[in-house]
Amino acid sequence: MVFYSAVRVVKFAVQNIWRNLGLSFMTVTILIVTLLSFNVFFAMSAMTQHAVATIKEKIDASIYFSPEATDQQVQEVQEFLRTFPEVKDLTLKTRQEVLTAFREKHKNNPDILASLDELGENPLGPTIVVSTFEPGQYTTVLGALNTPELQKIIEGKTFDNNQGFIERLQLITRRVEQFMLGVSALFVVIAFLIIFNTIRVAIYTQREEISIKKLVGASNGFIRAPFLLNGVMYTMVSIGVAAAIIFASLGFLDGYIQTVFNAGFSLVQYFRSHWLVFLYQALGVLLLTWLSSALAMRKYLRA
Amino acid sequence: MITLKGVSYVYPDGTTGLKNIHLHIGPGEFISMVGESGSGKTTLAKLLIAEERPTRGTIEIGGWNISRIRQRDIPLLRRQIGVVFQDFKLLPSRTVFENIAFALQVAGAPPAHIRRVVPQLLEIVTLEDKAHKYPVQLSGGEQQRVVIARALVHRPKIIVADEPTGNLDAINTDEVIEILKRINRFGTTVLLVTHNRDIVNRLGKRVIVLEDGEVISDVKHGKYRL
Repeated sequence: MVFYSAVRVVKFAVQNIWRNLGLSFMTVTILIVTLLSFNVFFAMSAMTQHAVATIKEKIDASIYFSPEATDQQVQEVQEFLRTFPEVKDLTLKTRQEVLTAFREKHKNNPDILASLDELGENPLGPTIVVSTFEPGQYTTVLGALNTPELQKIIEGKTFDNNQGFIERLQLITRRVEQFMLGVSALFVVIAFLIIFNTIRVAIYTQREEISIKKLVGASNGFIRAPFLLNGVMYTMVSIGVAAAIIFASLGFLDGYIQTVFNAGFSLVQYFRSHWLVFLYQALGVLLLTWLSSALAMRKYLRA
Repeated sequence: MITLKGVSYVYPDGTTGLKNIHLHIGPGEFISMVGESGSGKTTLAKLLIAEERPTRGTIEIGGWNISRIRQRDIPLLRRQIGVVFQDFKLLPSRTVFENIAFALQVAGAPPAHIRRVVPQLLEIVTLEDKAHKYPVQLSGGEQQRVVIARALVHRPKIIVADEPTGNLDAINTDEVIEILKRINRFGTTVLLVTHNRDIVNRLGKRVIVLEDGEVISDVKHGKYRL
């Protein structure tokens, strides 16, 4: 009996789609458009995050010591900085390394090189290059070095020059994320209203059949099941088509994206490694269609 | 079989549909329920198939109190009561055979059972040769006979027929009433809600008269009187 009922539920579900082919097409189209919008935002979010991460990677702070600073003093500062949980990486450049880098940087400027040679000795002190996990943490770490004792041996810190840029970057990132969140929420509301109305119209066209089913003793579950199955069918088709469009488009765009971000970032790879996103979207669409069906049918299933 | 004790029904807008109805209908009875429009006949029919619930009182069908029936039990009740309405309620896109089979399909009947039962029902309502016609290709009387056949698919103990001849001419009316009488002879209780004086008088069976939601007359072998 359950087997025959299940077969008939499938049959009625297919009939629902076939008899309302136009409405079914519209429902699936709206779902696909909604899914495409979400995935465009997802891709944008991925690109923004990657861009921010790349820039953050490149941000560091340099602490320049005076040439008089002893190795022990530099060592102590280094140890002190290591105690900060915010510090991700720390590199010490010796006086010789700093000089070599300086010479390399100004190799095309004979005046500077001549001046260096004239001095006879290395006028540059060692440098510590610090990187933190978040740009906002530099203020804390470098602020700790503002003691009178340390200021005697520290000639300068370069982070101050980047602070404004980091703050702007953080603000932009926050705003983009807030915007994307707002637009996504708006899409959910619009999609829900459109899907709800589309399904309601589909159910309205079958109100006579629903009333006859009730009259001859069909259970509410049996009446509801084909519409729920339609939800599953709409979900599978819309997710399948949306995923196909997304991968085809990203495959085409990936070459350009890699040019902008340098090799190593591929949106196709990103979507493949985040395939669960499609599962969540499928669950979301299913929930949306089922909720719409349940609300639209409520009126027809009373007594 | 059917017992109503102090049944009242008030519509959501406050209008009284039925007032303190006490009735007992025995198995195998053929009852004509008459009354003017708005007297509460259709409301009573709706209460019997749990389309509405009584505001007060109890309704028992075969010992089953359906006054506060749970939503999930309504389909079981409706498989025990065949319902025939004036407006047929047939699916236009399905053939006569499919319309009758539909009632069995929704109850999960196996195809072999459907193939066996539907022709038997078509024979009872003498529509064997119309099995593959669509409702639009049938006369009003034939359509109503399809509805009766559909109402019989679960071998109900009770048939509630609400104005089944309201849209039919005299010849078709006689055919439908003849079928209902035949079904009644098999032992099925028939509750016929009608306006048709001739039918009631010719039947010569029990007649219940409703007026303003109250039973004003209940006569064993009655005539139509208002």
